[in-house]
This record gives sequence, structure tokens and C-alpha cells, in this order.
Amino acid sequence: MKFALVSASTFLAVSLLLEVKAQPIDLNSSAWDGVVNIDASMQVPDYREPWNGGRPTGGSGTGFLIGKNRFLTNAHVVSNATKLVIRSSNDPEPHPARIVHIAHDCDLALLEAVDGKHFDHLKPVEMGGIPKLNTEVIAVGYPIGGDRISVTRGVVSRIDFRQYSHSGVDSHLSIQVDAAINPGNSGGPVIQDGKVVGVAFQGYSGNVAQNVGYMIPVPVIQRFLKDVEDGKYDHYVDLAISDFPIENPAQRKALGLKEDGIGVMVGSAEPAGSGGKVLEIGDVIVAMDGSAVFNNGLIKLDDELVNMNEVVERKFAGDSIDIEFLRGGKMMKETVKLARFDPYVRLGNLYDERPRYLVFAGLVFQPLERNLMDAHNIQDPLVNYLFDNFLGDKLYVDKPEPVILTQVLPDEVNTFLTPYAHGVVEEINGQKITRLADVKAALAKENDDKRFVVIKLMEVNRPLVLRRDLAEEAHPRIMKTYNIPQDAFLGE
Amino acid sequence: MKTLFFLLGSLILATTVTAQNPDRLEDEGAAKGPAEAIRGGARAAVSEAIIKSSSLLKVNVTYQSFSPHIPWQKESPGARRGLGVVLKGNEILVTAQMVADSTYIELEQPESGQKLTAKVKAVDYEANVAVLVAENPERAKAFFAEVKPMELDTGVRIGDGLSVWQIGPAGDLIVTPLRVSKVQTAEYFVEGSVFLVYEGNGIVRTEGNSFTLPVVKGGKLAGLLLRYDSKNQVTTVLPAPIIDHFLKDTADGKYEGFPNLGVEFQLTLDDQFRDYLKMKEGDAGMYVSQVMKGMTGEKLGLKEGDIITSVNGFDIDSRGNYRDPQYGTLSVSHVVRGRAFVGDALKVKVMREGKEMTLEGQLARKNPAEMIVSPYRFDRGPNYLLAGGLLFQELSKSYLEGFGRDRQSGPILRLARLAKSPEAFEEKGCKKIIFLSAVLPTPSAQGYERMGGQIVEEVNGVVITDLTTLDAALKKPIAGVHTIRLGEFPHLIHIDAVAMERDNMAIITGGYRVGSLKRIE
Repeated sequence: MKFALVSASTFLAVSLLLEVKAQPIDLNSSAWDGVVNIDASMQVPDYREPWNGGRPTGGSGTGFLIGKNRFLTNAHVVSNATKLVIRSSNDPEPHPARIVHIAHDCDLALLEAVDGKHFDHLKPVEMGGIPKLNTEVIAVGYPIGGDRISVTRGVVSRIDFRQYSHSGVDSHLSIQVDAAINPGNSGGPVIQDGKVVGVAFQGYSGNVAQNVGYMIPVPVIQRFLKDVEDGKYDHYVDLAISDFPIENPAQRKALGLKEDGIGVMVGSAEPAGSGGKVLEIGDVIVAMDGSAVFNNGLIKLDDELVNMNEVVERKFAGDSIDIEFLRGGKMMKETVKLARFDPYVRLGNLYDERPRYLVFAGLVFQPLERNLMDAHNIQDPLVNYLFDNFLGDKLYVDKPEPVILTQVLPDEVNTFLTPYAHGVVEEINGQKITRLADVKAALAKENDDKRFVVIKLMEVNRPLVLRRDLAEEAHPRIMKTYNIPQDAFLGE
Repeated sequence: MKTLFFLLGSLILATTVTAQNPDRLEDEGAAKGPAEAIRGGARAAVSEAIIKSSSLLKVNVTYQSFSPHIPWQKESPGARRGLGVVLKGNEILVTAQMVADSTYIELEQPESGQKLTAKVKAVDYEANVAVLVAENPERAKAFFAEVKPMELDTGVRIGDGLSVWQIGPAGDLIVTPLRVSKVQTAEYFVEGSVFLVYEGNGIVRTEGNSFTLPVVKGGKLAGLLLRYDSKNQVTTVLPAPIIDHFLKDTADGKYEGFPNLGVEFQLTLDDQFRDYLKMKEGDAGMYVSQVMKGMTGEKLGLKEGDIITSVNGFDIDSRGNYRDPQYGTLSVSHVVRGRAFVGDALKVKVMREGKEMTLEGQLARKNPAEMIVSPYRFDRGPNYLLAGGLLFQELSKSYLEGFGRDRQSGPILRLARLAKSPEAFEEKGCKKIIFLSAVLPTPSAQGYERMGGQIVEEVNGVVITDLTTLDAALKKPIAGVHTIRLGEFPHLIHIDAVAMERDNMAIITGGYRVGSLKRIE
């Protein structure tokens, strides 16, 4: 599963880790010209007043040249960007740039200069592999406010699966270093032996941990670059199952396992996920793509024990995986075609998307997403429950996109409905509401008594009733009063 | 006349504040009744400075609540101090809040400091009233020799002057005036328990014994102080009619409690909603939005969508209020709850699909113990069952409340929602919702240590409907293994039956020192 609690914070800044055992870095040499500063102007969408354009802001980070007019950086450096400018270390000239590909689930983005000629003479930075523990690396970048390149160094302290805080729901391999990685370092290369071994991307804020920074390792970078080779980014795929370690002797015996430490139990399987089409609760996965899976959910890959998700991590949309499993003591083997698991996407932060909404007679409807939860600071226990247990209780099966009545913009037509803001829409005029797009059609639908629009909220035992003639009359007035230029945006 | 009473109260308060000389105590006649003192006029009050009551006793309570999350343990003991009012038969009236989870109760003569051990004779946590009696009737005789019982005054109306009585450190009576500005229904001490209250404005000086202060009118008991909001200076009084109801109910030795209707209502003020419900201009009544299972409303035949227009002859307005002859506009809940007894006749007029109907039946009560999610529990520990380190509990409000703010996320949020709408479990025939609340690490529970919050659905093939069925199911392992099916991740666990029994012994005698493996009451 890809969601967990996050305390890490991403930095809008860049740093490069340079290797120390070698001679001092000569910044006048052209070797580091490929490390550039990225200046981003952004517009943060407004999920509270979704018809508004949003709040302009800006930030700066680092990127580096990896091929002809191709700069790699973090997705969070360029998310929600309205304008991007690249500057190199020895040239103050700002060069307009644009995003070629962006992957929010692994916090990487590929940029190009609008006019790439200027960078043609620069040498791209070479990719290395996964560095060993306790070897030195350097981080290179442009921490906040600096025009000149900055270099910090440290050692590789841990290689592990970790949550990527940009989306807040995805976990991938990440490498912990004790080099100082500060806001502004984001997107910069981390280097060992003159080769890139990672992209600096997040650290800890506050007093959780000191001198700890994280970088995105080469396998994740290369997966991103391979995914976009066909011209589009297809996202990570997911089995969408949760594994439960088999440590208990009675559990092992009951599930028919040998005492060889092989096999992990399926503790939940999302019916809409790729794994759920084949696996059931209580199945024991014993091998994936021919490699044995141990009882704690680890698998041996390239002679190293890693999380079994790593097998799936390396796959692409449409790829398959062979799973061997025990069901009721019988060994079975199935091939699972892998796909992205959509329901969890809305649990993460969304970027580069215009907020969707629909306004009717002052009633504002919006889909349940993390951005919405944050913007409205929703305290309602039912909405919080829906969000927190969206996957756990399989709520997405009935309501792939729960619709929330986020606000009631007061007017005489709706004044008795204002206490129902933050309710979850169950039904409008007898039609079930499973996603925002349903609302429009349902509002137009005629009820048994066609004079009324009848809205049912989850766990509210009275219907919300508007007289259609009064509501339609009030609608343009409310739009004008509350300065709403467009009464709905349902998506591109 | 009422104004004069009010002024007298103020004067008495003003003088007692300065009269802290303990020597004066001895000059006071202990038998002098408070009613007498107050009616005696301003001059008497000022000259004697110290007033006493022979109907009040200090009540000192030591309490110890059970830990909702470690149910075999009790929390640290605490103390509550308050005033009890002596009623006839030497029964002492206090709020239920005062004696909740009590371990030791003593009565104390305000002046002499003489003490007497007492016990709870009857208590109603919903109505927040309790009566205490002496533990040892022999010793009580001397203790109560000089004590005069107080009578109830149930006739208080809006505008009446009352006074809050307190006892100062030297046994002196401190009287604070209070005028009833509002009579309404409000929540008492247990969540969701709504009853009649008097509200008044004025500053109440607290003397450290803030629980259970008597509120008096003309020497008779008008109520007990329910709460005081010092910010807004609002005093809320638990009124004599509710106390009277409680006392009448206890009189036959069999306490039944207040009836409950089990119906959720909505106002019908919204014009468009009224139009939709086909209510005509001027039509009043309240909309029935939910009818709870097994309670009075359902037995009576009320249905969702009904509009209740009259209850026991009282017309109901669009806010759910009626005209009370004594108090004026008041919530209809007083008709079916505060002033009614279990078994009383109930006659409700409703509009259903445009037609008027009359429903007749009897008021009934569903006790908290019969509810699938227990709304409150005092004096007894939470039910639980420990099996090989797995701790199973009944889902209850007190369990959830123990988490405070943490309720706002994850499994606790899910359990809280189930507690709010447990209908699906009731339909499945569950008497209680049983869940795995925590795991004490033991060898037999290896691998399950971090679990918690899962609903228990089935054990060894038996559907679990309460702790008793769980207890029985855990006595019948299949092929030496217990199979436990849960509603949430990981859905399925197994435990070795022999290892579990071994660990059960270790839990009692070993490091956990759990006194008993279960409490199923």
C-alpha cells in the first residue's frame, strides 16, 4: 500500500552532493555548468473559492542537464507553474523554460529551455548507480537566494522505502544522506565519483531529525525516464493489496505453510485494484516473478532483500507479474496485469489541476480530495471518516468520487440550508451521486413532485428541499453577488 | 415581595464575606433553620452575621474510575466535595455526577466536623440525581439528631428569586441570590440526556465545594446547581420537578428511570420544506426524521416523514415546543420524558401523507445496558475478554471518549462512526459490537502485537454477537487452532489453543498482573 503518515517536508531548493575523496571541485570548469537554477512563478489553486484563479507565488530550485536540452528536477519545484526560467551558474541571463514531463507520484520532472541552443555546449551529467552505505556523496545546488552554486557533503546513511511527501501517498526507494540539504536544494544532483547517484528532494522539518536529507535514487529516475520515452507519463502501477507478515506459528500452520520462512498473507485486496482481481484475503503469496517472498513481505532482488513492492515498482503500465500463492493449502499461479490504482490518488496532494466544482442556487458542490480537506479545514466526522477510510472500508466502490456540499452561499432561497454545509451528497432528485459529474444531470432531472429539487445527504435524515422556480430565479443573482464567473467546472 | 427576597440574599452574602471570626461560631444556635433566618428580615441577618442551615451536610466522595483502555485497571483515585440536602427519612440528595464511580462516601456535619459513612441508595445518571443513606443505621441516629429535613418546591416559575447555598469554612451559610430568567430543556451530565433546567444570571462565588450546591426558594429546595458558566455568569439549575420525579420513582424500591421516545425530530420553519411536506400556511408540527429500533416511538407506530402536531393534548409548534401551563414555551421532550413515567399513556397526533392520524400507546424506556453501544457506564468496569493477550471489548461511548482528540483519525474515527450508526449490526442480530482493542504481547499472539481496532465477526465458525458468544466460541477451537475473522485488515488470524491457555495463566500471574481474564456483566 502506498499511503502512510508523513512528517517529511519537501524543499523548494536544490543541492548537489559532490564526492569528497577526489580533488576540490573547480567550479570554473565546465563540468558543473549543467547544474542550473530554476526560478518558478506559480499559481496555487484555490479549493475554497474554486472559481477563483488562485494565489500567485514563486519559488526557486535546482535542476541539471541530463541530455540535449533536457533538465531533470523535482516535480515540486515546477508544480502549478505559470512561468519557468533557467539560469546557469556562469551566465546571469534568464532562459524561459517549459515542462516536458512531470511525475507527481515520484516527484520528478523533465524541463526544456524554450530556446535550447544556449545550452548545447554544456556537458550533461552522467548517471551512476546505487551508492554503498557509508560512502561519501556531495549535493550541489542553489539554496534559497543564492546565485552561486553551493556544495555540501555527507555519507549515505540508509537505503529504504520511504514516503514521498510531494504527493503524500506514494512510497518508493529513497536514500538518506547526512549532507545538509536545505530548501532550495531540491532537484539538484547528488554526486559520487563524478556521476549522479540521486536527486535531492526532501528532508525533515522541525525537530523530528537533524542532519537528515533524502534523495531519489537512480532506479526511480531511470524508471521515470523510461516511462516517458513513449512521449507520455503513465504513472506507477500498483498491486493494491496489503500484506500481513506471517510470524505466528498457528497462522503458519493454519495457512498450510512449511517452516521455511516463505510466504506472506494477503490481509486486504482492493476489489478495483489489479491484485484484487486474482488474490483474496487469506491467500499466501509465496513468489513473485519466480523470486521467493519471505514471511515479512521481503523479496530477494539482485542478492538484496527488499520490499516485495520493489518488483512492482520496476514495472510499467500494462506489464504483468507472475504470482504464486497458496489458497486453502493448494498452490496456484496467476499472471496479473498491472495498472494504476486510481482511488488512492485523491488521497494525495494534487497539482496542476484546476479545482472542479458546481454551484446551484448558492450550494457549492466539490469532489472529496485531499486539497479540498486542507482548504476547507473540514472537521465534520463523517467527511473525515470517508477520507480516512476511503480505501480501508472500500468506500470508493459505491462512491468513487464522494461529493461534498462544501458551502452554502447565503441567500433568502437557501437560508435554512446553511447548517448543512460539509454534508456528503447521497442523492439528488432520486439519482445516486457517485461523482461530481452526476450532480449536473441529477439537478436537471425532475423529481416526483417536479416543483422541487430534493437533495439527500448521507446520515442526514431529512431531505434538503429547494423550490425549483425560486432556486432558478436566485441562481444568477447569487452568482453575481458572490462574484462567480462560471457556475461549474467539471474537468477538461 | 420577590424583589425584597432578592435584596435580602445580597445583604447576607455581603455580611458573611467579612464574618470570618471563628469565635462567633459558638454563639450560633445550630438548630436555627435557614428559612427562618432568611425570613427574619435584613436586620436579623446583619446583626447575627452568620446564618446556618440544619438541612445541609458536607459530602466528601472519593472516586476511582475504571480505565476504558486497560479495563482491568482503575485510574488514580480522586476526591469530590459538595453539599448534600437532607430529605425526609434522613436521605441525602446529591447530583449523580458527585457519586459517579465512588469508592468511599462520607457525610460531614458542617459545624462540628462529625463524620458518617454513607452509601448510594439510588442513582440516575441521566437525570443526574442520587440519594445517599447512612451505611450504618445505628450510628446514623445520633448523627441526624439535630438535622432537619428539607422539602421540595416544584412550583418555581420564570421571574422567581432563588438563592444558591454554600457553606463557608467555618460552617457558616453563604447565600447567593439568583433570579430565574429562563426555563428550558438542556443537556445534563451524560451526553444526550436532555431535561428541564432553570437558568439565571448572577455571580456565584465558589467555596471549593462546587459539586452539588442546593438552590433554595423560601426555605424549600428548588433544585441543585447543575453548572455555572463563570464567563457568561449563567447559572443552570437542575430543578425540583426532576428531583421529585426521581424520588417518586425510587419510593417503591424499584427504580425504572425516565421514559425515552427514541425519535429524532426536525424543525419545520423552512418555507420550501413546508411546501414540499404539503404543510399549509399556519400548520405547525415537527418532522420525524428518524425512529430508533425498539423504543417508544417505534412501538407507537411513528414513521419517518410523519409530522407530529400534538402530544398528550399539547399542540406542537414548528420548533417542537408546546405551551406549558407553568413554564410557557418548552420543548415537547419534557412532556414525554421529564414529567412522564414509564407506563404512562401516550397519545400522539400526526399528519401522514396529508391525513391526520392518532397514535396511542405507552411510554417505555430502553436502558443503556440494552443498547448496542452503551452511552455511559459508571460504577462498573468496562466489559472485556482477554484471550492469549488479545483484548476484546464492547464498543462504547466511554471507550471512544477516552481517546479525546485522537478520535479524529484512522480506526478510532471508523469506530466512532459505527457507534453513531450501528443499525447494520443490530440488523445482523448483534447485542454488542465486539472489537479487538489491543494486544498484550505474548508468545501465542506473536505477530499480532500491533493490531487494534478491528471488529470481530466470527470465531471458530461462530458469529460473534456479544462477549458471551465470543467467550463460548473461544472454548471450541478447531483442530487445536482458534480462527478469528475480523472486519478489517488483516481480516484473518489464527492462534494455537494450547499456547493461548498457557499465556492466559501467564497473564494473570506474570508481568501483566491482570487480576481477571474477563469481565462480562
